[in-house]
Amino acid sequence: MRSPSSLKQEFLKKWMMGLHIYGSLKKKMSLLERKKAIKLSADIAMASARNGTTCWSRALVANASKDEQDKILVQHILGTESERLMKKVSVLPLMSNKRIRSKKVLRRSYGSIRRAKKSNIAASPPNKVLAISIAKRLVRKRTLLLKSLVPGGEFMDEIALIEETLDYILSLRAQVDVMRSLANASELNNKN
Amino acid sequence: MSSRRSRQSGVSRISDDQIIELVSKLRQHLPEIRERRSDKVSASKVLQETCSYIKNLHKEVDDLSERLSQLLSTIDADSAEAAIIRSLIM
Repeated sequence: MRSPSSLKQEFLKKWMMGLHIYGSLKKKMSLLERKKAIKLSADIAMASARNGTTCWSRALVANASKDEQDKILVQHILGTESERLMKKVSVLPLMSNKRIRSKKVLRRSYGSIRRAKKSNIAASPPNKVLAISIAKRLVRKRTLLLKSLVPGGEFMDEIALIEETLDYILSLRAQVDVMRSLANASELNNKN
Repeated sequence: MSSRRSRQSGVSRISDDQIIELVSKLRQHLPEIRERRSDKVSASKVLQETCSYIKNLHKEVDDLSERLSQLLSTIDADSAEAAIIRSLIM
């Protein structure tokens, strides 16, 4: 796993590049447009730092490329990378079929485990059984929520989801740290 | 048919252990849970903390983008500021 500081450096480099490109594409921007440009460049830079190795980064690039305007910026920042990343993204729907099947298998096996557990604890108070099923429902609900938060989450099985989440959180943290540093530095700079 | 059944048990055996390991890794990165000494944090709690942490990070990015859009008069960030930050990050 990359060190956090190298991740930040990679992000900063690509982010500055993105901002520069955006600035050259559009000279005069409204406040809102500028905010969107900053955010988009930041997200693409963050995804690009992973170089297509993670599902979330590919999904993020794919989602950004859906918008015609944003697609141009994406292609500019990623350059030749974007072609390669696009190819990888198109593989995703195919993989999801396999994953859905293995998910069904998983779910069926969980069902049999649950039934076995239930028969074992038939003697224990009904509250315990209820508590277990509530906990399982909570996990399921929260897993779905997590899937909606991580880009490309809907294509992932439980294991991949956790791995991707870990990487996504680390990347988000690096992104936030760098952006905050720039904001603080700009503020200080403007005061002088 | 039998191959499917063996794959079934194979998948569930691997995923249980792996999930526990990954969940513990995830816990280490969540700021709030790290402070608690108890080892018995439920999966649903970890998921909940993870979701709210990600939502917070998203919101921070949005707020920082807002702040930066006001601070940076041109979208081309000053090379001086970029240089400062680069040195801070090193």
